[in-house]
Amino acid sequence: MSPPARTRRQDIARAWMRAVYPTAYVPMSPVEIELYLLELVDVIAAATQAEPFTVEPVAVVGDRLVEAHFTGPETLQRTVEVLGHALLFAPELQDVPRLAEKVVAILGCLSTSFATSMRMDAFNQQEEIKLALLAAKLRAERVLKVSEARFREVFDSSAFGIALTDLRGECVDANAALADMIGADRAGLIGRRLIELFDPADVDELVSTYRAVGEGRVERVREQRRLLRADGEPVWVHLAVSLLREAEGKPSHHVTMVEDVSELHLLQKNLDFQLLHDALTGLSNRQHFLTRLETLHGTSRGGITLYYLALDAFSVVNNGLGHAVGDQLLTEVGRRLKAVVADETAAVARMGGDEFAIVVANSPTTPTVPAMVERINEALEKPMDNGVALSASIGVVDRPAAGWDVAELLRAANATLRRAKAGGKRQWQTYDRHVDQRIREHQSRAARMPGALADGEVEVEYQPVVDPTGGQVLGHLARLRWEELEHDECLELAEATGLSLALGQWALREAAGEATASDALGVLHFELSPMQSRDEDLVHTVKRTLDETGLPVSRLRIFLDTRSMLDGTGEDNAQVLRDNGIATGLARFNGGQAELSLLADLPVDSLILDPSVVRRLAERPEGFLHDATAGMVRLIRSSGRSVLVPDVSTPERAAWWARVEVDAAFGDHLAPAVPGYELAH
Amino acid sequence: MTEGLSWVPSTIDTGLPSAARIYDYLLGGGHNFAADRELAEKFLLAQPNARTIARLNRAFLRRAVLHLADAGVRQFLDLGSGIPTVGNVHEIAQRAAPESRVVYVDFEDVAVAHSRMLLEDDDQSTVLQEDMTDTDAVLAGVRDTGLIDFAEPIGVLTVGVFHFVPPERDPVGVVAAYRDAVAPGSYLALSQFTADLQPEEMTGVVAVMRRSANPMFPRTHAEITAMFDGFDLVEPGVVPLPLWRPEDGAVEEDADRAGIFAGVGRKK
Repeated sequence: MSPPARTRRQDIARAWMRAVYPTAYVPMSPVEIELYLLELVDVIAAATQAEPFTVEPVAVVGDRLVEAHFTGPETLQRTVEVLGHALLFAPELQDVPRLAEKVVAILGCLSTSFATSMRMDAFNQQEEIKLALLAAKLRAERVLKVSEARFREVFDSSAFGIALTDLRGECVDANAALADMIGADRAGLIGRRLIELFDPADVDELVSTYRAVGEGRVERVREQRRLLRADGEPVWVHLAVSLLREAEGKPSHHVTMVEDVSELHLLQKNLDFQLLHDALTGLSNRQHFLTRLETLHGTSRGGITLYYLALDAFSVVNNGLGHAVGDQLLTEVGRRLKAVVADETAAVARMGGDEFAIVVANSPTTPTVPAMVERINEALEKPMDNGVALSASIGVVDRPAAGWDVAELLRAANATLRRAKAGGKRQWQTYDRHVDQRIREHQSRAARMPGALADGEVEVEYQPVVDPTGGQVLGHLARLRWEELEHDECLELAEATGLSLALGQWALREAAGEATASDALGVLHFELSPMQSRDEDLVHTVKRTLDETGLPVSRLRIFLDTRSMLDGTGEDNAQVLRDNGIATGLARFNGGQAELSLLADLPVDSLILDPSVVRRLAERPEGFLHDATAGMVRLIRSSGRSVLVPDVSTPERAAWWARVEVDAAFGDHLAPAVPGYELAH
Repeated sequence: MTEGLSWVPSTIDTGLPSAARIYDYLLGGGHNFAADRELAEKFLLAQPNARTIARLNRAFLRRAVLHLADAGVRQFLDLGSGIPTVGNVHEIAQRAAPESRVVYVDFEDVAVAHSRMLLEDDDQSTVLQEDMTDTDAVLAGVRDTGLIDFAEPIGVLTVGVFHFVPPERDPVGVVAAYRDAVAPGSYLALSQFTADLQPEEMTGVVAVMRRSANPMFPRTHAEITAMFDGFDLVEPGVVPLPLWRPEDGAVEEDADRAGIFAGVGRKK
C-alpha cells in the first residue's frame, strides 16, 4: 500500500474513533482504539477492492465492534455515517467499479453482523446475570438452611413452649413443649388462634400486648399469664412476645415463648420473684430495688444516677377510667421505662402507687441526665392503647458521693421529686443539698404546725392600714406569725398541709375578739386564704364569729382570694357576704383581664393589690408599667371601689402610691405589725 | 424436621433495583433486570447525561488504575466494585502488570455472586461480601484472603461509591480507617457525585433514588477534598471526571456536565 493510502486509512480510523468514543465505554486508550479500528478499516477496504466482490469478510467487523464493547445505542449509526462517507470519497477506492452499490452492501453486512453480535452478547449477559442470581439465591438458602436447622433444634428441644403466629394471631407453628404444657395435640394447634389458649380474663390485655409488639412500640414483652389446659386447669406462664420482620423490615410474625411457672419445683422461684417484684408490672419492688441500688452504688465506677418518677395526674386516670385501665397504664409505663434503659446497666422498679425509680450505672455511653429525662418523657408521652398519654415529674440524684446510704439516696430523690412536682407537670429537678435542707425544714415545720396551733404558738398580729396621704390609721389587717415565719409563709404552709381552713377560722375568731376588745383597732381587715375563700361554710363561719364576739358588722372587711374567684367556685361567697351586709373585697389582685372582669361580676367594694405587682414596680425605674398601673388604679377607683396597696417598704414607694391616690396602704415602712396586747384597749 | 419454614422471607429480590445493575445498564451492559432498567430510565430523565457520566466514571477508573500501576502499585482493593462489567480492575491491572492482585468488596448478593463466577479461575483476585463502611470487617476479610500485603502500597479504589454512603455513616471516618490501615505510598482513587456542577439535575437524581435501595448523597468539592485528608493529591487534584489526566488523542468532553468529581491521592 502506498504511504498516502496508509495515512488516509489512519485518518478514517481516527474519525471513526472520535465518532464512536462518546457512544460507549471501551476499556482502551484513544490511541489503542484507533489502532483497533484501523485493522477493521483494512478489512473493509480490502473487501471493497476484492474481485470477485463479496461482503462476507466484513461480517467480522460487527463482531469485533461488539467484542470490544462498542455497543452504545448510537454506535452503529455513527459507524455507518463515518464509513459511508469515507468509503465513497476515499481516493484509493475511486477506481472501484460500482462503488456505491458495494458500499451499501458492505454497510448492510456490517449492520447485520453488529446486530446479531449484540443479540448474542445480550443473551450471554442475561444468562450470566441469571446464573449469578441463582448462585446468590442458592448461597442465601444454604445460609438460611443452616440457621433454620439450628433454629429447629432449639424449637424442638426447648423446654419452653414456643409458638409462631402470623399477624392475625393464628399459629403457623408450635413446638411439642407448648402442646405438652396445655395437654393438646401439636398438629391441632396449627391454624388456631394462639390467644384462645389463654384464660379469657387475660385476652383483652394480651390483644393489646400483641398489638404493641406488632406495631413496634415495644421490642419485646414479658408478662405473667395463664394458659388453659384442655381440661380447664390454668397453667401459670411467663410469656415473652417478640416480632419477626421480613428482610425489608415489614413485620411478618410474632414469636411467643412461654415458660411454665406453675410446676411445683418452680413454685419457690415464683415466690421469690413475687417477693422481689411488683406483681402488676413485673418490675422490681422497693425491697429488691434497694438491694440493686446498693450493689450498683457500691460497684459502678462511673457513679450512679437515680431517677425517681411520679406520674402526673395518674389519679385522674384511675378515677376517671377505672382501676383496670390504671393497672394497664402502670404496666405499660413499666415496660416503656425498661425500654428506655435497655442499653444501660440499670434497674427499674415500681416503688408503689404511681411512683417508679430507675438507677443507672453510668458508662461512657450513658446519656446525660437531661438526655435521659428527655427519653423518659418521650417514652411516656406516646399515647397508650386507650389514647391516654402520660407525663411524669422526675427527681434526680446524679452521681452521689460513695458515702451515702441507699435509704438516704431514696429519700433525697423522693424529696427532689416533690420539689419538681411542685413546679407543675412534666417537671424535673436534680438534687440540690441546700434546697433539700430548706425543704426538709419546711416539711418538718409543716408537720409541726397543727401542734403549734393547738399550743398557741401561732399568733395573730395587726398591721395598721393607713391613708398614704394623711397618714391616719384606717384600720388593721390581721397577720399570722409563727416563730420567724410571716403571714404569707404561714398561709402557704397551712395551705400545703390542708390546715388552712382551720387556721383561717381560728385567726378570724381571734382577730374579731381582739377587735371587739380594742376600739383602737378600728376596722378589721381580714384576708382569706384560697381554701377559705372557696369554703361553702364561709358565710356561716363569719356570721357565727360576729355573733360570738359581738363585733359590729361595720367593723369587719373581708378580702376574698382573687384567684379562687376566677374558677367560679367562690363567687357565691362574695354575693352572700355582701347580702349579709359584710364589706367584701378582693385580695391579691394583679389586674389581669380576667381579674378585671371579676370586678364587673362581683359585688366587691375594695381590693388589695397583689404583692408581686407592688414588688415589680419597686424593682423598675419609673416607666410604662408605672403609668399603666396608675391608670388602672384610677380606673378602678372611678368605678367606686377603693384600692389598697400591700408591702409598702420605702418612703419613695409610699410617696409614689400616695401620688397615684390609692385609698389605703400598709407595709413595714408605714407601720409594722404588732401583737394584740400592744394595741390600746 | 426437614420441611422449609414457610415464614422465612426470601432474601434476594430481583424486583428491587440495584445501583450496581443500573450502572451496568447505563454503561450499555446486559447484566440487569427489568426493575433496574426502569429506574435507570427515570435516572436518565433527571440526568440526561447519565450514560456519558457512567462512561466517564468507568474511564476514570481505568486511568486511575493505570496511573497506580505506573507508580508501582501491584495490589488493589476495589470497594463497592459492583457488577463486573467492561474493563474490570483486575483486567486492567493485570494487563499492565500480570502479577497484580485485586480484592473486590461489595455488599449486594447478586453482584458478589457474579464476581465470584467471573473470578473463579483467577487466583490473584477475589471478592468479599461486606459493607465497605464496616471497615473493621472489610480489613479483617482482606487480611484473610492472603492476597494483600499491608506492608506494601495498596491502591484503594472507591469509584462512584461514596455517594451511596449517608453522612451518618461518617464517610470521612470510613476513608480514614482505610488510610490508617495501608502503608505509606498507598493510593486512594475516589470519585463521587456532586451538586456543584449541575445542581438541578442532581436534585432530580437524588429524588429518583431516594426511594430506591440506594439513596444518593452528593457532596461538594470541599467535602470530597476533605476525604483525602492524609493523602497528597496527585495533579490535577479533585476535578470533574474528564479533566483528570485525559489521555492523548482523547475526544473533548463537557466537564461542566460530568456530574462527578474525581481525584487520586498518595498516602503521606
